[in-house]
Amino acid sequence: MNLLLIVLFPFFGFMINGFMQLRSLKTGHKISSKQSGSIATFAMVLSFITAIYYFIQFSGQQEDGRLIEQNLFSWIKLGAFHVDFSLRLDSLSLLFTMIITGVGSLIHLYSIGYMKEDETPAKYFSYLNLFCFMMLNLVLGATMPHIFLGWEGVGLASYLLIGYWNQDTAKVGAGQKAFVMNRIGDLGFLIAMFIAYKYVGSLDLVDLQKATLSPKIASVVGLLVFFACTGKSAQIPLFTWLPDAMAGPTPVSALIHAATMVTSGIYLLTRISPLLLQAPDVLSVIAMVGVTTAFVSAVIACAQKDIKKILAYSTVSQLGFMFLACGVGAFDAGVFHVMTHAFFKALMFLGAGSVIHALHEEQNIFKMGGLSRKLPITTFTFVMGWAAILGLPPFSGFFSKDEIIIQSLHSQYGNQILFIMALASALLTAFYMTRLLVLVFFSPSRMEKETEEHAHESPLVMTLPLIALAILSLVGGFMHHSEGGHEEGQSIMIASVVVALIGAAFAFFRYRKFDKEEMTNQFVEKGLGIDVFYNKFFGNGVPLLAKGLSKWIEEYFIQNSMKFCTWMVEFSGSVLKSFQVGSMQVYLLMMVVFGLAFMIWILESVMQGVIFYGK
Amino acid sequence: MENSQQLTALLIWPMLGSILAWFIPKASQRIYSLFISIVQFALVIYVAYPVITQTGQGLEQTLPWLSDLGIQLSLKLDSTSVWFVLLSGFVSFVVLGMKGQWYRRNTRLFSSMAFFLIFSINAAFLSSNLIVFYLSYEAVFIPMILMVGIWGSSTKANSVFRFFLMSFFGSILMLVSIFYLSYLYFLKTGIFSANLNDLLKLSNENSPAMLWCFAGFFLAFAIKVPLFPFHGWLKEVYVNAPAPATIWMSAILSKLGVYGFIRFVGPLFPEAILSAQGILLALAAFSVIYAAFLAIQAKDPKALLSYSSISHLGFVMLGVFSMGASAKTSAIVLSVSHGLTSLVLFYLYDLIVKRKEDVSLEAYSGLAKKFPILFVCLFIGVLASVSLPGTFNFVGEFLVLIHAYPVSALCTILAGIGVIFGAVYMLKFYQKLGFGVSSDAQVAEVAEDISGFDLIVIVLILALIIYFGFQPSLFLGGMTNV
Amino acid sequence: MNEPWMMLIVACTVFLIGLMGVIFRKNLLIVLMSVELMLNAVNLSFVTFSKLHNSLEGHISVLFVMTVAAAESAVGLGLVIALFRTLKTADSDQIQILRD
Repeated sequence: MNLLLIVLFPFFGFMINGFMQLRSLKTGHKISSKQSGSIATFAMVLSFITAIYYFIQFSGQQEDGRLIEQNLFSWIKLGAFHVDFSLRLDSLSLLFTMIITGVGSLIHLYSIGYMKEDETPAKYFSYLNLFCFMMLNLVLGATMPHIFLGWEGVGLASYLLIGYWNQDTAKVGAGQKAFVMNRIGDLGFLIAMFIAYKYVGSLDLVDLQKATLSPKIASVVGLLVFFACTGKSAQIPLFTWLPDAMAGPTPVSALIHAATMVTSGIYLLTRISPLLLQAPDVLSVIAMVGVTTAFVSAVIACAQKDIKKILAYSTVSQLGFMFLACGVGAFDAGVFHVMTHAFFKALMFLGAGSVIHALHEEQNIFKMGGLSRKLPITTFTFVMGWAAILGLPPFSGFFSKDEIIIQSLHSQYGNQILFIMALASALLTAFYMTRLLVLVFFSPSRMEKETEEHAHESPLVMTLPLIALAILSLVGGFMHHSEGGHEEGQSIMIASVVVALIGAAFAFFRYRKFDKEEMTNQFVEKGLGIDVFYNKFFGNGVPLLAKGLSKWIEEYFIQNSMKFCTWMVEFSGSVLKSFQVGSMQVYLLMMVVFGLAFMIWILESVMQGVIFYGK
Repeated sequence: MENSQQLTALLIWPMLGSILAWFIPKASQRIYSLFISIVQFALVIYVAYPVITQTGQGLEQTLPWLSDLGIQLSLKLDSTSVWFVLLSGFVSFVVLGMKGQWYRRNTRLFSSMAFFLIFSINAAFLSSNLIVFYLSYEAVFIPMILMVGIWGSSTKANSVFRFFLMSFFGSILMLVSIFYLSYLYFLKTGIFSANLNDLLKLSNENSPAMLWCFAGFFLAFAIKVPLFPFHGWLKEVYVNAPAPATIWMSAILSKLGVYGFIRFVGPLFPEAILSAQGILLALAAFSVIYAAFLAIQAKDPKALLSYSSISHLGFVMLGVFSMGASAKTSAIVLSVSHGLTSLVLFYLYDLIVKRKEDVSLEAYSGLAKKFPILFVCLFIGVLASVSLPGTFNFVGEFLVLIHAYPVSALCTILAGIGVIFGAVYMLKFYQKLGFGVSSDAQVAEVAEDISGFDLIVIVLILALIIYFGFQPSLFLGGMTNV
Repeated sequence: MNEPWMMLIVACTVFLIGLMGVIFRKNLLIVLMSVELMLNAVNLSFVTFSKLHNSLEGHISVLFVMTVAAAESAVGLGLVIALFRTLKTADSDQIQILRD
C-alpha cells in the first residue's frame, strides 16, 4: 500500500470529472449527476478504504510505532533552505483522513441526489474532489509549506464551490469574501513560517515540534498561526465569511463549512502544540477567543431565520468550543470534538439540505413547520443530530463537549470565566437548536399551500448518508477513550446536561405553537454589527483608500510630475524655437556675432596666459 | 568560463530575421515570424543547455570592437543571464504566434521590428560591457516605440512621448555614470575600459562619486522595472500598446531592469546599496501595496493587469535588494514566473478583447459561460498570479519573502499584505469578466472559444507554470553554486 | 600707397561692407553682389600678402578664387531666379521656408 493513494484517488476523480466537463462543453453532450457523481464517490470510497487499511495497520501497533512517512520528491531546495514534498501519517492525521474520506464519501453520495437537476454536475463533483485532494494534502503534509499548499488549496476549492452558481454575482461575492478573509489569515501563516525558519532553520513539522524557542518567539509564532486559524476556522475576528459561505450548495456547506475545512485550524494548532505549550499567554488568548466566539455566534444564531445560517453560526460556535479546548491545553478533547462535530453537523446540514430540497429552495424556518410527517427519515436523523449537539447522553456530542467543559475548568490553563462562558454557550446552543428543530419539523405548518403539497421525502441516495451519519452521531462518542479521572467531572457533566435541557425546554415551549414570523432583533440578526462594520470599514474603506491613492498620489503627484517633465521639455523647446526664425541672414548674423565673441574669448585667454600658444 | 563562439549566433540570427522580413510576402509573414522565432528559441536552448546543466559554468565570447575606448563586444552567458535569455526566447516565440492587426497592417515593419527587438534584448542580456549594454538597452526603445505608435490604440501619442522621455532620462544618466566609472578606472590603471570585470575593481571604493554613479544606474533601472515613484509612464503605455508589445514590456523589458540591478548595480555598488538598503526595501514593499491599491480601483482590465505587474515586480525587487545569493536566485525565479504569468494573462485578455468591442470592466459579464475553456485557462493564470501554492509564482514569492524576512521583517510583512490585495483585485478581474449574467449583444458574431495555436500555447505555458510549481529545482539547482 | 597695412585696411573695410550687405540687405541680388564684394576683399588681402612675402602662391589663389567666384555667381543667380519664379519675390524676408 502506498500513502500516496489516499491523496491520488480524489485527484484522479477531479481530473476525470474535469475533463468530462470540458469535453461536454465541446460536444454539447450532457453528463448526468449519476455518472459524474459515482466516479467522484467511488474515488472517495477508494481513498477511504486505503485509510481504513492504515487504521487497521495502526491499531495493531504501539503508540510510538504509528508513523508512516513517504518522501515523494524534493520540492524547494535553495542553499540552506530545503522543503520536501512528503506525506506523513500519524494518529492525528489518520483521524482527520478518516473524517475527510469517510464523511466526504457520504456527502459525495448525497450530492448525487442533491445535484440531480443541476446543469453541470461534472464541474461540481470535480470541485468537490479537488477540495478533498487539497484537504488531504493539508492533513498529510509533513512540512509547513506543504500544509500551506493544502491550506490555500481548500480555500480555492471553497471559493469555487461557494460561487458555484456563478451567474449570481452575490454568490460569487460571498465566495470572494471567503477567499479574501482566508487570505488575511494566510498572511499570518506565511509570516509564522518566515519566523520559524529564521529561528528553527527548518519548516519540517517534526523539527518545529522538537524546537525550543524563547517564549517571545514562540508566542509570536503561536499567535500568527492562531491568526491563520481564525481565518480558516472562522473565529473572531475573521468569522464573518462563514455565514455568507452558505450561498454554496448545501452538501458543500456540510463538507467544507462544517465537517472538514473549518476544522483545519484545530488540526494545525494540535500539530504545533509543543510550540504553543511553550507560550502559555498564547494559549489563554486562544481560549478566550474560542469561548468568546462560541458565545457570540450562539447569540447571533438565536436570531437567525435562515436554516443554513443557523447551522453556520452553530458551526462557528462549535469551532469556538474546539479552540477553547486547544486553549486550555486539551488538544485531544478538541480533536475529539472535531470528529463528533463532523458527524452531527454534517448530518444536520444534509438534513437541512433535504428539507430545502423538498421545499424547493425555501430556507426560512418560519415558512416551514410540521415537516415530521412529510419527511420522516430526515426528521428522525435530524433529531439524532440535535441530541448530539445538545450533548445528551449517550450521543457523541455528550462525550466530546463535556470533556471540553470539564477541561475548561480543571485543566492547568482553565478558569471559571471560561467555564461559565462555555456553559452559557451550551445553554444558547440548546435553545437555538431546539428552536430550529421545533419550527421546522414539529410546530404547525406555515408553508404555502403549493410547496406543502410538493414536499416529499428525499430519495434513498440522499437518506442513506443521513442514516449513516445518524448512527455515527450516536456511537461516535465511544470511539474515544476518555480518561475521565476527575472527581468533580461527574457533577459538571450533570450540570451541563441540565443546562442543555433547560435551554431546550425553554425553546420548545416558546416555539411549539408558533404560527407567525418572529420579530427578531435586527442588530443581532445582522451579526451584532460586526459584519456591517467590516463592510463599512474594509469593504468601503479599501476601495476608498484605493480611490484616494489613485486620485491624490497617482494623479496629482505622479502623473502631474510626469506632465511637468514633458512640459519642461516642450517649454524649453519652444523657447529655443524662437531663435529659429528661418531667415538665412539672421542665422548668419548669429554666426558672426558668436564667432567674434569666441575669437575675442580665445584672444583674451592667450593674452592672459590661460592658453599658451607657441613657445 | 568557457570560451564559446555560439553566443554571436544568438545575435546574428534575429538580426538576419529582421533584415529578411522585408523580402517575405505579406501573407506568409506570420509563418515566417514563427519559423524564425522557433529556430531562435531552439538556438537559445542549444546554447543555454550546457550552462544550465553544468552548474556554475558559463559561456564567454569577446570580439574586438572599439578596443581603444574600452568598448568590446564581450558576451557572457552565465547562470544569471541564461534564464532571462531563455525567457525572452520563449516569450517572443509565443508572442509572434498571436494573431492580430499587426499581421494585417504594416506587416513587414512589424516582423522586422520584432526581430530587431529580440536582437537588442539578447544583446542587452548577454553583454558584459557596459557601453554595449547601454547601446542595446537603448536600442530596445526603437521597436517598442514604433510598435506602440503604429499598432497601438488611438490615444497613444502622449503616452509614447512620456515613455520615451522617462526611459531616456534615466538611461542617459546611466550613460554618464558609465563614462564616469570608466574614467575612474582610467585614473586608477591608465586604461579606458567599460568591461564589467574591470569596473568591478572599483566596487570596494566608497566615495561620493560612486554614490552618484549608483544613483544614475538606479534611476535608469528603477524606471524600467518600474519602482514606485517612477512608474508614471507604465499604465498609459501598457494600455495603449498592442498585445505583443504589452507582453514584451511586462514579461521581458521589465526584467531588463531587474537584470540590470542583479548584474550591474548589485556587484558594482555593494556599499551604496547596503547604506540605502532600508529605503530600497521600503520602496519595493511600498510598490507592492501601492500598485495593488491602484489595481483595486482600476476600471480598465488591462490597466488592472498593468498595475498587478508593478505589484509583482515589487516582490522581485524586494528579493534583489535583500542581497545575498539565495535572495538573488529567488528574485530570478520570481522574474521568470512573473514573465510566464503575465504572458498568459495579457495573451488571454487580448483574446477576450478580440471577442468584444467595449473594453471597460463594467461592460463585461458572464463570459465564462460563452468561452468556458478560455476562462478555465484564465482562471489558472489568475491563480498563478495570486501565487497560490502549487504554481511557479508561489515558489518565487515564497523564496523571496523568506529570504527578505531576516533582512527586514517590516518590509516583508508590508509586501505580504500585498498578497491579500492581490487576491482582491485578481478575483475582481476574473469575476467581472467571467461571472454574472451574460448579455449577448456585446459579443461579436464570430466569437468562438479558444482553439488552435492559442490553446496549445496557453496550455503549454500553464503546464509549465504548474510543473515548475512542484519541480523548481531546475531553476534553483543551477544557480545555487554561483 | 606702398604701405601693405593700408591695403589690408582697405581689404578689411571692403569685406565688412560685403558682410553687412549680406546680412542686412533684403534683395537677394544685392546679397549676391555683396558676396562678390567679400570675395574680392579676400582677393585683395591675398595679393597684399603675396607682395609682402614675395611669393606667387597668393596670386595663384586669387586666380582660383576668381574662377570659382564666377561659377558661383552664375549658380547663385540661377538659384535666385528660380526662387523668384516660384515665390514671386526676391526679398529675403519673405523667404522663410526653412522655418516651417
